[in-house]
Amino acid sequence: MRRRGASTKVMAAGTAVEPMTSATAQEIAAQEFARIVETHRPQIFRFLLSSLRDVDLAETLTQECFLKAHRNWSHFRGDSSAMTWLMRIAINLQKDYWRNRRIQFWRQTRTNAVDLDEASEWLPNGERNAEQQMLAREQVAQVWQAVKGLSERQRTVFLLRYVEERELSEIASATGLSEGTVKAHLSRALGRVRTELRGTR
Amino acid sequence: MNWQQDRSGESPRMDAELEQALKHFKASMDAWSDSAYSRPRTAAKLAVRHSWRMVAAWALGCLLAAGSLAGAGHEIYHRQQLAKIAAQKAAEQRAAAGRAIAQPASVQPISAQSDKKTPAATTRKVSAAQDSVSSQDEDLLASVDSDVSREVPAAMEPLAQLMDDNGTQ
Repeated sequence: MRRRGASTKVMAAGTAVEPMTSATAQEIAAQEFARIVETHRPQIFRFLLSSLRDVDLAETLTQECFLKAHRNWSHFRGDSSAMTWLMRIAINLQKDYWRNRRIQFWRQTRTNAVDLDEASEWLPNGERNAEQQMLAREQVAQVWQAVKGLSERQRTVFLLRYVEERELSEIASATGLSEGTVKAHLSRALGRVRTELRGTR
Repeated sequence: MNWQQDRSGESPRMDAELEQALKHFKASMDAWSDSAYSRPRTAAKLAVRHSWRMVAAWALGCLLAAGSLAGAGHEIYHRQQLAKIAAQKAAEQRAAAGRAIAQPASVQPISAQSDKKTPAATTRKVSAAQDSVSSQDEDLLASVDSDVSREVPAAMEPLAQLMDDNGTQ
């Protein structure tokens, strides 16, 4: 996605018709950013919620993510998709949060993170019967249990792959890892989920 | 689902179960996220709670500052009062000492004025008066010493007798 390459409106033939004023360029950029916020905000929120299991914290970090993106919007050159760029900011914010919590271990920080049972309660209301609902809930709880045991990096890769359904190349770009490393993390994460599913069967 | 690309040689039944579990996990996460995303925000309540905390913190801070200022003021006032009293006492002592020195000279002020003697004669008189005062003091001290020496306690009586005996021998 290339943006702001030229400051003039160019016709198909390539002739510049009228110079774009700075105010107009800013207005277009603002509209473009507003559209990106509207499109990607729910996905960023979902990723942060699944990583942190804390609704308030996920909202706060989502806000911070878009604030940071807005500040650096002029530096975004479109080498990757806007979603990948935003996801990278969100991952860095999440890392900062965990690092700060580790550093400030002596402070009694109040956390609103829900426990795994509560997180497993959420299921879409389908046409399934009670037994199927219970089975599904049990499986979700097992996956949460496996996710809890993953390292920070494995969890991020796993959630980007199976909740956000990102491609391996996108995950590699967002996390700053190579595709091989991403595959290795995914393999380990899936192995843990399998073990969890097998263990409680 | 992406899991098919990432699987590593598990049995078909396990793969089906894994696929189903991951599908349910994503559906659960979507449902939770949608619900949390569309919930009513409580920012106003939080702001109010936050402002109350701020007000309480400011009130406490002001109270502490006022208390420390009042304490410091009281301490300064107390020290000034003490210094005043001390200065007053010192002045009184100086005045008393001055009076004690000037008193002998003013014993015969009328005669001194009527005679209209020279300053040298006045100085002589003053020094004579001072000499008489000091000799009176010495007499008084000597009498006190003799009184005290006479009143020997009963417990010291043998020692006193011994001293007398030695003195006579």
